[in-house]
Amino acid sequence: MHFFIITRFVAILIFFLGISMGAPLLVSIIYRDGSAWALFLSMFITSFVGLIFLVSTKSQKKDLLSHRDGVAIVTLGWLMAGLFGTLPYLFSGSIPDFTNACFESISGFTTTGSSILSYIENLPRGILLWRSQTQWFGGMGIIVLSIAILPFLGIGGMQIYKAEIPSPVVDKLKPRISETAKTLWKIYILITGFEIVLLFAGGMSFFDAVCHSFCTMPTGGFSTKNASIAHFNTLYFQIVIIIFMLLAGINFSLHYKLIKGDLKIFSKDSECRVFLILVGLFTLIVTLNIYGPVYNSPGNAFRHGAFQVSSIITTTGFITADFDKWPALSRLILLVCMFLGAMAGSTGGGMKIMRIMLIIKHSYQQIFQIIHPHAVTTVKLDGRPVSQDILSSIWGFFILYLSLFIIATLIMAALGLDMVSALTSVAASIGNIGPGLGVVGPVKSYITIPFVGKWVLIFCMLLGRLEIYTVIVFLMPAYWRK
Amino acid sequence: MKITIVGAGKVGFHIAQKLSGENQDVVLIDKDSEKIKQITEALDVQAILGSGTSPRLLRDSGIEEADMLVAATDSDEINLISCLLAKNINQYMVKVARIKNEEYLEEKNLFGQDLLGIDQLINPQAIMAETILRLMEVQGASEVIDFIGGQVKLIGITVTEDSPLTGRSLLSLKGLEDKLLIGPIIREEQVIIPHGKDTIQVDDLVYVVVRNNDLNSVFQLFGIEERGLKRVMIVGAGRTGMALATALDQSKVNVKIIEKDSERCADLAEKLERVLVINGDGTGRDLLREENIEDFDFMVAITGDQESNVLISLLAKGLGVKRTITRVSKLSYIPLVSHIGIDTVVSLRLSAVRAILQFIRRGKIISVTPLKGEHAEAIEAEALETSDIVNVPLSKIDFPKRAMVGAIVRGERIIIPNGDSVIKPKDRLILFALQQVIPKLEKLLSAKLEYF
Repeated sequence: MHFFIITRFVAILIFFLGISMGAPLLVSIIYRDGSAWALFLSMFITSFVGLIFLVSTKSQKKDLLSHRDGVAIVTLGWLMAGLFGTLPYLFSGSIPDFTNACFESISGFTTTGSSILSYIENLPRGILLWRSQTQWFGGMGIIVLSIAILPFLGIGGMQIYKAEIPSPVVDKLKPRISETAKTLWKIYILITGFEIVLLFAGGMSFFDAVCHSFCTMPTGGFSTKNASIAHFNTLYFQIVIIIFMLLAGINFSLHYKLIKGDLKIFSKDSECRVFLILVGLFTLIVTLNIYGPVYNSPGNAFRHGAFQVSSIITTTGFITADFDKWPALSRLILLVCMFLGAMAGSTGGGMKIMRIMLIIKHSYQQIFQIIHPHAVTTVKLDGRPVSQDILSSIWGFFILYLSLFIIATLIMAALGLDMVSALTSVAASIGNIGPGLGVVGPVKSYITIPFVGKWVLIFCMLLGRLEIYTVIVFLMPAYWRK
Repeated sequence: MKITIVGAGKVGFHIAQKLSGENQDVVLIDKDSEKIKQITEALDVQAILGSGTSPRLLRDSGIEEADMLVAATDSDEINLISCLLAKNINQYMVKVARIKNEEYLEEKNLFGQDLLGIDQLINPQAIMAETILRLMEVQGASEVIDFIGGQVKLIGITVTEDSPLTGRSLLSLKGLEDKLLIGPIIREEQVIIPHGKDTIQVDDLVYVVVRNNDLNSVFQLFGIEERGLKRVMIVGAGRTGMALATALDQSKVNVKIIEKDSERCADLAEKLERVLVINGDGTGRDLLREENIEDFDFMVAITGDQESNVLISLLAKGLGVKRTITRVSKLSYIPLVSHIGIDTVVSLRLSAVRAILQFIRRGKIISVTPLKGEHAEAIEAEALETSDIVNVPLSKIDFPKRAMVGAIVRGERIIIPNGDSVIKPKDRLILFALQQVIPKLEKLLSAKLEYF
């Protein structure tokens, strides 16, 4: 392993993270919210630490990154971003406790959106922006961002790019990795910009429009309001946010192709089709299920049904209704959504539709093989054969995801949580969703989770965002053996 | 520049590696999913799985916006069809094809604008034969590169222990400045762009820029005896062996060619006048002795089997031949074999890569040749009137650190430059540069934008 390069890279990341704290600092100066000093201090410390490591590793020779280095850079990069991200919370006194601050920060960067805060509205504006900003960076990926803006990475870029992109198969949009990363970020910025304009045009304050857009596009789910989106109880905002949550849940390379002029790409891509059909189907079931017992008008039932299904399946976690009080079928559907997640290559979490599709196709192939023992079959996706390597890695992912989910749930139960809360707090963390059911339900916060439980969930969030393998590999003894 | 390469074999891979290292946009197409996977891991290029003869795939790969197509598969037919399809989709694209079959090469009209529109044909066998001939011409050198039509030569010399230059610093070579310039030195696979204080050490591969007429004095300096080329032994009568033998058939050189296959031998004997064709196994010690290998100047081992070639060269060296040229196909073997006493290595793939790269860099740059180890290149370029480098003393130019000017050719005069030399418009320059600074150098050489 190349420790110097790893340190250097992480140092650059930290340096830029520090610089980016300038935005919330500016906001806090403008609004005179009293957090300017705390933000300045965080900015100074973060960028200074980054700079020190940057300068001290300067003389090192450029070398190619290996897979191992990529894993280390990504895991350490995320950990460090999470740690330095706590500084604004700690210094401003918004979240004085380190564990809680860490929970909030990691929940931000991993775009989970679960919060330990009960009263969000009385936080300083600068801190609110920082909270949203961490989600926005984490959504498309801090590593992808660095690949896009740092020219020196070259060949090594692919190794760390792969470790961060949430997809079993990585396709490049452009011949060069830095161009690919740049393109992704441009699309991301473009769509975020659209959302800001639409929300602002609908009458939301500019600050709230920015913060909510920063949390929709990465499928994050932090809000500046205690009641989340329910605070803006108009049809317009909810429709806009549903649309943008779904856009964020779609593979960004499809957006690229759409911009390039392929207007039918959403219906052509089979994963996208399945994703949209599932959203429609689940919305229908939930609407029928909650019409009557919860909502008196079919319109309201549909509106909240559609919003919650989109919010959970894309792993955003915005809330318009307390779905914890919905009938069992609806709650179960939402639980299924937590596991499914959005499309591969989107900013969403969960297991990803593509993996589920391939697992089903592969299982079907196995059954088919029993009926026709001599048949030669291949698993295909959109007419392209899927290699055995990818299939095995998906099965591995599936098993790991479930085992880790079970282990973490058992720990949570051992800590005294009831069954529903234990199950959903872990599912919502490993899937990067945010709100669960029970004590971590949509109108509750994670503050009541015991100390150990919070760290278990923090670990789950990182696991989920970096798609299990990267973090697990980093923790394997075999990884550290020379 | 966006370049599409069809075929991710050794040649395709190597070109992709070089170009992506210079931040060009490279798209690589190959049918083998294993190779595609490997390339995705190793290189920063877009690797696409599929056939280079599929028009749909070519379109999907973005060939409409590409500037150049390099068809570098092992099959001539695939290369030709790829070029044809590319021409159909993108009229203005520059096309380079690797072609082995001489019958195709003879059909000149085939490649013209009317039909295939291929801008450059690369025949690795012919290029390798040329390289070998050039190496034999300058016996003391392990590498010879011609510039300005051969008036200036860049020769690579391996420094031996008994060379008078061993341990001397470049500063102590004063007085020779107008005769030669020491270019890059390759030491343990590291490229050094030398300064006055650097010393020459044993086993260094030193590149020297020298006028053709001064060759002998340089060899004297390095303690290398230069004899006329009299006898050459070739083992292996494949395409290259054949081309080599044919070329030498007209000259005064005594040539013996050894080939296992008796039919091939008979065929050769019919075509050649003076060359002696011997049917036998080149790895046979007795055969080599019988043919008086110890009196020969060169042993050229170019059979299709690289391991045999290495053995033949070692054997011949042991039996007393003066120098050997060995064909090796695996590029990773090249640094290894020079350690076990093989003088000069040639490789078909390297020849193809060089030829293709030379073509790609055309334009303001006249030719480019990668130096041994591939990390540095020798570049021949013309100084444009509007570029930043003219009419200023060299020491004042913001030259990239890892690049140097090796020679300035002005009309008939060849100037070996120092810090005070001034480049005039229309001068031809010979430059050396490490790979990383080549894009920067290209920029420096290009004309400034003019506004009308």
